[in-house]
Amino acid sequence: MSVPTDFGPDSGGRMKGVCIVKPIVYGNVARYFGKKREEDGHTHQWTVYVKPYYNEDMSGYVKKVHFKLHESYANPNRIVLKPPYEITETGWGEFELVIKIYFHDPNEKAVTLYHILKLFHHSGSTQDLQEKGLVSESYDEIIFQDPTQLMHHYLINTKSLGSDDLDHVAYFEEKKEKSLKAIMDASEKVRADISIHKNRLKLAQETIQQFKDEIAKLQESQSQTSL
Amino acid sequence: MADIRDILELESPATPELTRESITGSDKPKKRYSSGAKPAKRPEGMHREVFALLSKDADMPPIFPSDTADGYKQMKIKLGMRKPRKWKWMPFKNPARTDDAVFHHWRRPSDEPREYPFAQFNKKVEIFTYTDDEYQQHLTCDDWTKEETDNLIDLAQRFDCRFIIMADRYNTEGVTKRSVEDIKDRYYKVQGILGKLNGDKKLYVYDVEHEKKRKEQLGKLFERTIEQIEEEQFLLGEMKKIEARKKERDRKTQDLQKLISQADSQNDMPRKSDKKLPKKKVPNPARPRVDTNYIFQAVETAGIKFADFKNSGVSLRSQRMKLPPNVGQKKVKGIEQSLQFLGLEQSPPASEDICQCFNKLRSEMVLLLEIKGALATCDYELQSLRHQYEAMAPGKTLAIPAQLTNTDLDIKPNPGEIIDVVGSPGNPTNA
Repeated sequence: MSVPTDFGPDSGGRMKGVCIVKPIVYGNVARYFGKKREEDGHTHQWTVYVKPYYNEDMSGYVKKVHFKLHESYANPNRIVLKPPYEITETGWGEFELVIKIYFHDPNEKAVTLYHILKLFHHSGSTQDLQEKGLVSESYDEIIFQDPTQLMHHYLINTKSLGSDDLDHVAYFEEKKEKSLKAIMDASEKVRADISIHKNRLKLAQETIQQFKDEIAKLQESQSQTSL
Repeated sequence: MADIRDILELESPATPELTRESITGSDKPKKRYSSGAKPAKRPEGMHREVFALLSKDADMPPIFPSDTADGYKQMKIKLGMRKPRKWKWMPFKNPARTDDAVFHHWRRPSDEPREYPFAQFNKKVEIFTYTDDEYQQHLTCDDWTKEETDNLIDLAQRFDCRFIIMADRYNTEGVTKRSVEDIKDRYYKVQGILGKLNGDKKLYVYDVEHEKKRKEQLGKLFERTIEQIEEEQFLLGEMKKIEARKKERDRKTQDLQKLISQADSQNDMPRKSDKKLPKKKVPNPARPRVDTNYIFQAVETAGIKFADFKNSGVSLRSQRMKLPPNVGQKKVKGIEQSLQFLGLEQSPPASEDICQCFNKLRSEMVLLLEIKGALATCDYELQSLRHQYEAMAPGKTLAIPAQLTNTDLDIKPNPGEIIDVVGSPGNPTNA
């Protein structure tokens, strides 16, 4: 991929109104050894990764991915320059990973993802796949709002790597659909609740006014009798 | 000799010497010494640390003098080489005394004779006196006769203006009784006038009224009964409570005002405004509008205002689902609980649709919480109004509608009445 020379990194101008979205998936897989390893007490092998949601060459626009592991690992700051953007390690505990994605154009700020490394099953957030062991994945979208010309060039020229028929696509498409439906349903419920309470509030308001009027009347009559 | 050898830990000679013990046959003391001198073995079962605490011979002080120098080096302490100065019992006069009395005290004759040093502490107040003419010209007063004034000045001189004593001496029989304040007042007036005549710059002013009031107050404070003190404490406590309540109410009113101003700036649904207009247009002119009246309108547009991500640059979709920092801890908690209650994830996959709907949902949740809060405030107000009414008209009461008292009772709303609360940005405001 050759970069045209008429816009270097300093050509500056952002392309107003242009918005490119790159969906990604990040997370980790983990496999249990079956027993505690004698020499260091590690129990799992895990791989943390960032990958494109659709099958494409992320290196087209990503310069590097920085994984920050727990301090207890030897050189915890791992940088991956080429796909696959992943780190495989062994360990015994879960911790929060900081993943930073840098782009080819230094004018575009890096984005930061946070992922909690999962080794053990929790209800809901993990999938259990027989062949892979435990999987804990999140879906996110990188939004390039008004990209620089250079960045735009990189983004639209991303190479596709064949079919998008990836495992996680099916999983997340289903999950997205389910989540959206659940949210819509909940929204409906909340709105109904709002309506009920609003009516109740209105009634309360009117009752308060009514009470106040009653009291005012009573006050008037009392002041008259006392005169 | 064997004793000393033992004490000095010298090897005893292989051949036992002829000693008194060997003759008398009492061998015991020797054994005791030797056992003490030997480096003792730790008894079995004793901890090493405990054993270490036992003193060893090496630590013991020597039994006989080890210093062979003869006697003390210097028998007497030498504090000074000069001859001591003499003290003498001598007579002295105190110039502060008028009677020339002679007393004695110890003094060094070598010190030069000085005036008795404590005489300087005998301070005299300068009291102006007056002649008959001066009195007639300047000092006549309706309340005080000349004799009385003379007496007063005399007393002041005698007792150095100690007014309490003066008042005591003044109030003898046959004289009009006067209080300390009266005496002080007259004294300072006379002195003031005389001072002016003599060209004295210093002017003392005495405020009788203030002084009388002050003493009266102190007297009252002192004479309070225990019941009165208790009542005062109680009332102070009550006042604090009232003030706290007032503050709380003010704070709530302010919050409401904030909500109202938000409501004004945010979009409102036209449908809703149609419904509300008649209510808004008929305010009760006779009565000032009370804050609870605002709740209804204010609550309409409450919710969360998520940040617009209009800025250029890269961002993550999930960032747009983050609650803005101005959402309070309480609301965040409320949202979390509502999500849990509805069985939703705290962070669903961040697609565009989900992001939008999820934000809207949470905004609605906050709105619902606000409405519930407002309802609670109204409920409180209703209760207090009812109490007020009952207090004014004993035996009568006001009925709070069952719909309000029973919170479990959920009336299914008319589907058509479900209102889109959050509003979409394109709609005009109902100003």
